[in-house]
Amino acid sequence: MNVLSALVRRLLQLIGVMIGIAIVSFLMVHLAPGDPVSLLAGDRTNPAVIAGIRHQYGLDLPLWRQFIVYVGNLMHGDIGRSLRFQQPVAELIVRFMWPTLFLTGYVLCLAIPSTMALAVIAARRPGGFADQTIRAIGIVGLAIPVFWLGIMMSRLFGVTLGWFPVSGYGVGVGDHLYHLFLPALSTAIWLVPVLTQSLRAALIDGTNADFVTAARAQSASEREIFWKTILPNSVLPTLNLLGVMVAFLIGGAIIVEIVYAVPGLGSLMIGALLGRDYYVVQGLALVFAMATVAVTLIVDLLTAFIDPRVRV
Amino acid sequence: MMNIDPDPIPIRGFRPTVSNAIAIAILGGWLIVALAARQLAPYDPDAVDILNMLAPPGATHWFGTDQVGRDVFSRVLFAARVDVFLCVSGVLPPLLIGTGVGLVSGYFGGAIDGLFMRIYDLFVAFPFFVLVLAIVGVLGPGLVNFVIALTLVGWVSYARLIRAQVLSIRETEYVQAARCLGYSPAVIVTRHVLPNAIGPVIAYAMSDAVLVMLAGASFGFLGMGAQPPNAEWGVMIADGQAFVQQAWWICLFPGLAAVSLGLGFAFLGDGIGQIQRRQVTA
Amino acid sequence: MSAGTKPPLLRVEGLGVSFAAVRAVKAVSFELQPGEILGIVGESGSGKSVTCRALMGLLPGAAHATGSVTLEGRELLGLSEQAWCAIRGREIGMIFQNPASHLDPLSRIGTQVAAPMIRHLGIGRREGLRRATALLDSVGIRQPEKRVHSYPHEFSGGMKQRAMIAAAIGCGPRLLIADEPTTALDVTVQARILELLRRLNEERGLAIIFISHDLSVIADICSRVIVMRGGEVVEHGPVRQIIGQPRHAYTRLLVDSQPGRKGFPPPLPAADIAAPLLSVEDMSVVFPARRRPLIGKAAAFQALDGVTIRVEAGETVGIVGESGSGKSTLARTIVRQNRPSGGTVRFDGEDVPALSGKALARFRRRVQMVFQNPYDSLNPRMTVTDAVAEPIWRHGLADRRSAVKQAQALLEMVELPSALRERKPHQLSGGQCQRVGLARALALKPQMLVADEITSALDVTTQAQILQLLIRLQRERALALLYISHDLAVVAGMCRRVYVFKEGRVVETGMADEVLSAPRHPYTQELVASLSHLAPATAGTSRPTGNCHESR
Repeated sequence: MNVLSALVRRLLQLIGVMIGIAIVSFLMVHLAPGDPVSLLAGDRTNPAVIAGIRHQYGLDLPLWRQFIVYVGNLMHGDIGRSLRFQQPVAELIVRFMWPTLFLTGYVLCLAIPSTMALAVIAARRPGGFADQTIRAIGIVGLAIPVFWLGIMMSRLFGVTLGWFPVSGYGVGVGDHLYHLFLPALSTAIWLVPVLTQSLRAALIDGTNADFVTAARAQSASEREIFWKTILPNSVLPTLNLLGVMVAFLIGGAIIVEIVYAVPGLGSLMIGALLGRDYYVVQGLALVFAMATVAVTLIVDLLTAFIDPRVRV
Repeated sequence: MMNIDPDPIPIRGFRPTVSNAIAIAILGGWLIVALAARQLAPYDPDAVDILNMLAPPGATHWFGTDQVGRDVFSRVLFAARVDVFLCVSGVLPPLLIGTGVGLVSGYFGGAIDGLFMRIYDLFVAFPFFVLVLAIVGVLGPGLVNFVIALTLVGWVSYARLIRAQVLSIRETEYVQAARCLGYSPAVIVTRHVLPNAIGPVIAYAMSDAVLVMLAGASFGFLGMGAQPPNAEWGVMIADGQAFVQQAWWICLFPGLAAVSLGLGFAFLGDGIGQIQRRQVTA
Repeated sequence: MSAGTKPPLLRVEGLGVSFAAVRAVKAVSFELQPGEILGIVGESGSGKSVTCRALMGLLPGAAHATGSVTLEGRELLGLSEQAWCAIRGREIGMIFQNPASHLDPLSRIGTQVAAPMIRHLGIGRREGLRRATALLDSVGIRQPEKRVHSYPHEFSGGMKQRAMIAAAIGCGPRLLIADEPTTALDVTVQARILELLRRLNEERGLAIIFISHDLSVIADICSRVIVMRGGEVVEHGPVRQIIGQPRHAYTRLLVDSQPGRKGFPPPLPAADIAAPLLSVEDMSVVFPARRRPLIGKAAAFQALDGVTIRVEAGETVGIVGESGSGKSTLARTIVRQNRPSGGTVRFDGEDVPALSGKALARFRRRVQMVFQNPYDSLNPRMTVTDAVAEPIWRHGLADRRSAVKQAQALLEMVELPSALRERKPHQLSGGQCQRVGLARALALKPQMLVADEITSALDVTTQAQILQLLIRLQRERALALLYISHDLAVVAGMCRRVYVFKEGRVVETGMADEVLSAPRHPYTQELVASLSHLAPATAGTSRPTGNCHESR
């Protein structure tokens, strides 16, 4: 079996998950206490108007019919309409998604090289000074609230030192990089320790693996062993973890965006939550879930590409 | 009579790690603070003092005062009650529910397990934070709803972890032996499977406590968790954000408190993990 | 130094290896002539593997080696890493115990076989791959042109070891160090790998240091042997002499512990009762295919196919077969860990799979099982006394206090020192754990014991002790014993009747001595032929040759 058939198999498995996602995001709104209609129409509107709006949104139908309608709309790419903005949710998401995507990519660009470097240094002498230091700093990094670190860094680097802007997104790629540096850094500080721990453990396991001893017995040089044998074998668990973490990153972006006032999906979501704009929350949850599924799929394919055993 | 049994006998013991010692000191300290905040705090945490707004840290107010003149030090101490409570109530229910479901699902397999796996697939598709946020948003902001949302989402990780453990322990020869000896499934699961499966779950619970604490503070910060004027570290940081240029202390100290509590759990998890790894390798 | 006395290929003088305060190897000296096969035999912890790693310069950083190792007059100890690289794989090749874990799972077989040649001989990738193909052919892998592109997981255990050998001999080394190269393999595969090594030795004049815990394998292939124990050489000499007239007490014990060497008292004839205690009739076990949604099913796996077995009360019956032959499935089905998909299992006339309630509890008390892995078969969180006492009070045979008393008596019976009774399994040795497992199985005073590979994880001297104990208990308690093993020598030595399993079927059955002396089925013949006897090899043994190609 090759990578292509693995892809097809995974896609088929995902159909069930996607149906589940649709059900969950559908129920999220419909099981909520409180009535979205009264929000839209105001509390003191007369019942006839409310009934009218109910009919307009299809809320007077039985729940299962509403779900059929919902799924039918999803098939056409219609994931709902914002009560507050009076715009399709899909349009809103497209408008707000670029800063979030840019931020996520930025975080990965900062995190992956530093993870590699730190893990390799730590794994070189397990239990040594560098290893202990990296582990201790990592534990601290994990325990810091991202939003607080964001505020403190923007105070220090933004206000006191004036090196970086403290809010916004800027115009143009260079400006984006400049504006999003602090947000990306505060997120990376949390991400790097998680990945480093995993890669370090895998590298140490790899160093002690039997096939590395065998390679030494065939007099491969240490450099060759590291790059050609240990690293490829160690990178898989970390790659899978990274897949899970990207999902966390999307969630983490919400807070960072609030702190640094980045106009991304996080800001959109919090605004919708506080304004009880349920259809936007629903649409966002759906899109976040789909994005997570897509990331998982990419990780699976990369894994299948590296490891011949998972293709069977 | 020659009786040679040459294979070596490994001997292991419990050696507490440095990480554990640090962790126990930190967590014990915060527990005392949470229980005795009233006795330890020099001021009423909610007492407004218009004459002393935004006073910098000094002899009278160690951590300074906030925008309405409340003593930051006292508020940090009182907030510990909320945040320590949050860590316990945000970890224990998912731990208990998840362990129960994971044990049953992993040991008996079959339809229950199939159903659980589908639920799991579904839950991992939603980013943790987004799902909790959405549920809190739907239920309405507040601490209780936050804990409910955490439980609804969090049990799945525990169940999955313990299920994976049970799947391998189920095949060990001591569990097979227990079945051959005719023990009931309830005895096997509680006496032979659970004690051997719980280790990694406890270690995970520690890192989860860090996550819960951070999430709790974040939700307070976003206005979705503890509600002002209640003292909670995240709420305090949110309050102080607007004044961070003139009065950095309002934000700094609650954050440091959160970091130290998080460190306590992180070190405890690290230490437990080390001990477990040692037991595996020794 | 061309003429005169032949200089040794390798000379080891006073080799010592220490890890911090622990001295793993003490003052080991020996010589190896070109083209010679030297065996090193010893049990776990004897220092044999550390010794050969020292010869390869592969000791971990914490180890410190002293003494002298010279290869054709050149001192090896203290060489720089760079100098070592010119020797390892070029002058000395090495193969390992577990071929599955010693091959890089992510890279193709051809690449791994070619790598040392590309490194040492300065040839290109294409030429390396061509030579790798030729090497795979010469170590007996079919369709080498296709197989160079395979990944390790697509190879069987025997093929993996052949690929390891191909990689080790690619650069034409003078010396091959083989560290337990056949221990992880089935006996018939082991025989073929030994055949291959012998052929390489003859055709290429390759000197081999063959390390094993198994004296019979060493006797089979080596001309001289070193016996190691506790890091020291206790005896050293030609194989014939070591086995025929062992001088050191430990060597004697080792020789006597070999299965089939020291006869057990002849098994008692079965009680003459019409109905057998256990009767398995035409039983099949099929493991259903794992269902994959929308992709279709993988084929169901038939583990057992129409198996018929009888065990009389008080009789010892042996089951022999290699991994995957279904012998463990048989054991698991008898004790109700699997359900048979066809046929019947009757114990004392009762239909075993249909038992429930009180009848099932009674069955549990009457049939017990002992398991393979000493550490895995005991709950790591219980003391051994608790583990043995638990079944007694759970079955309501005694209250908890007297159950503990009975447990202590049982542990006494299996000769576990009383000082160890409050320990947990990980504080015991493998042999001690196995004694506890036996005591636990006997706690309910069963009539029948199923023993599945109970000594395969133990050293040979420990194995001999456990088998002695098992036989003694079987006699004292008039137990019916179903003894399952991959080792025909052990089974034939202690059982009255034998069933030979292959691929889920019984291919041969009969009295043990008849099966051993006059096997009828070709597979049994191969199994008997692959038995390495310790008796001094007579010239021209009836070993099957030629047929040494393998494909999955």
